[in-house]
Amino acid sequence: MKTLVVDDFATMRKIVKNVLKQINITNVTEAENGQQAFDILTRDPEDYELIVSDWIMPVMTGIEFLRACKADEKVKKIPFVMVTAEAQKDSVVEAIKGGVDNYIVKPFTPDKLREAIEKARAKAGKQ
Amino acid sequence: MDAAFVNPYLTAVQNVFTTMLGIQIAMGKPELKHNKLTSGEVTGVMGFAGDKKGMFSLSFTKASTLHIYKSMVGEEAQSITPEVVDCIGELTNIISGQARVQIEKLGFKLSAAIPTVIVGEKVEISFITKVPVVQLPFTFQADGIDGQLYLDFSFE
Repeated sequence: MKTLVVDDFATMRKIVKNVLKQINITNVTEAENGQQAFDILTRDPEDYELIVSDWIMPVMTGIEFLRACKADEKVKKIPFVMVTAEAQKDSVVEAIKGGVDNYIVKPFTPDKLREAIEKARAKAGKQ
Repeated sequence: MDAAFVNPYLTAVQNVFTTMLGIQIAMGKPELKHNKLTSGEVTGVMGFAGDKKGMFSLSFTKASTLHIYKSMVGEEAQSITPEVVDCIGELTNIISGQARVQIEKLGFKLSAAIPTVIVGEKVEISFITKVPVVQLPFTFQADGIDGQLYLDFSFE
């Protein structure tokens, strides 16, 4: 499953990749912010089967990136999982309104991430 | 000491360590801190605003820091590299987020800034609050390491 991991912190991208590896997702491309990620996706929308994105990032935030993805005919079909430490209810509502396929709050176990991905893929009609 | 804030931080640290690192962590006796110096070698610091103004810091010994990095990232580090510093920043951010959710349940809405990480032993930190700083000491054992970390907080 080719996955795009989006986070401005290189170490956090490594942490997410480490957890993804534990659930056998190893084909991962990285992006530092929403804009860079959106550019990658619009170049090859068919290539990607999953987006795992942070919320707070410079240039284009996770919620702006989510809205951009869901407004693009080709990209909107890719399951989108938002990963964030922002556990406040307002943020969850905002992400749901933005069309997020699932939402996971740090900290998370590999099993919890797997579950979030499966639910996101089911919601996006990929399973 | 504002004891009401001890439990949110205890819950946050234990939850994050168990979930992300697979480590059981024990808290020692909370006490008032009588100096302004960092207790460990790598320290994440975060300020809060909102219904309460305050700060918290999370200070790790070097051995604890390197073990946490290995557990979170899946790579070994021999020294405190920029990646290790980022990792502690992220951990501080995650624990802060968890604690804020618990504090919200007490009826206080808080917003947080971006964490800062200080590297060095006995570095002076001036908390912005005028009330005393509470220190929660934690210990854990993993891979033969006697891990230690110290969580300091102050709200007014």
